[in-house]
Amino acid sequence: MRAIERGLTNCAVCHAIVKVPIQSAKEAAYCPRCDSEVYLRKPDAVQKTWAFLLASIVFYIPANILPMMHVITFAGTESDTIMSGVLYFIDTGAYLIAFVIFTASIFVPILKILILIYLLVSVQKGSCLHRKRRKKLYMLTEIIGRWSMVDVYVVGTMVALVHFGGLTEITPGMGANFFLLVVIMTMLSAMSFDPKLIWDNTKECNAKQ
Amino acid sequence: MRVHYHICHECDEICKISTPGRPGRYKCPNCGAKLYTYKPGMVEKLYAYNLAALFLFIIANYFPFLSFHVAGSSSHANFATSIFYLYQDEQWMMATAILLTTIVVPLFRILLYCVLFGSLYHGYLPRYATQMLKMLENLLPWGMLDVLFLGILVSIVKLVKMGTIIPGTSLWAFMLMVLILAAAQSIFDPHQVWERIGDRKRLERERATA
Repeated sequence: MRAIERGLTNCAVCHAIVKVPIQSAKEAAYCPRCDSEVYLRKPDAVQKTWAFLLASIVFYIPANILPMMHVITFAGTESDTIMSGVLYFIDTGAYLIAFVIFTASIFVPILKILILIYLLVSVQKGSCLHRKRRKKLYMLTEIIGRWSMVDVYVVGTMVALVHFGGLTEITPGMGANFFLLVVIMTMLSAMSFDPKLIWDNTKECNAKQ
Repeated sequence: MRVHYHICHECDEICKISTPGRPGRYKCPNCGAKLYTYKPGMVEKLYAYNLAALFLFIIANYFPFLSFHVAGSSSHANFATSIFYLYQDEQWMMATAILLTTIVVPLFRILLYCVLFGSLYHGYLPRYATQMLKMLENLLPWGMLDVLFLGILVSIVKLVKMGTIIPGTSLWAFMLMVLILAAAQSIFDPHQVWERIGDRKRLERERATA
């Protein structure tokens, strides 16, 4: 038995079961236990997710092209993008670190964007395929999202440690800012998606079989 | 025997649970998502873990976590240094984001846990428990101490080639804190607390009408 058929839903904050007037998916009810607003489905979930997702795709381009940080030494200024950092570690033989940075800052954001596009398109088409797997994919995006912040923290730590007043210094580049925005946007995008939408066509799917 | 009903957060299935008092993990029969975990002694454990984390947080922020020596000159960094330098370089956005995700949100979260579970442990329900739990739910994804830990490890490896790195006291405290917070998060389950709040609200309502 699915909850939406009875006009029930659970409060997103305290998990209490709340009765929502069934005709109005956009109207809010109030949770008797914690007084937060409760909807049958997150309001405008698909539009919001698309909006944040498109923003993150736009920010992803300068995040990869612009330098993450500038290394200022006696010899001059060197600028590092994400990819050049990865290549540097491969050259010096630190394969594990190269792998970590590549995964966290190139692979994970792209994977997350692709998964969310797939989820949105399949929900909008009302697809019945692989619903369990799609739910797992959604849980994956929620878990891995934060880990792309690694590179921002690396830049922050390096800036703090290499600060010898003018001669040897590391300063952050614009790429780091855009990268931060990519992480925030993909996190917001995953948060505004409602996984219950994947299962909302259960009746039609069962009828088809 | 009381029967509990849960609505799955992922697939909207109404799940009937006939043994709500038995410790263990409860999963949705339709999609396999975790409904909740019930472990006795959660309140005591969370109070203990978070008190420990609070002390470690103070240690981690007070002492330098890395010292870096290169060609005669040296620099020490503690947690707030990177934020300080970023503000100095006028990188407002990065500085604020790092400040929020590594200091403000984690500290706030640890304090909220301590107050909430501390007062539950000492036998009463705090007045703003609903607001506190609401806030915890919303803050959860924005605390990123474990990610910061990986970031520090990566930057240590990056810097090893440039000079000498000496790990400081606070790095060890920080490591321990991340482990403890992970352990606390794995047993945290708000259902029991919410049920107590719900029971009390019902009681108050009955008193008001009587």
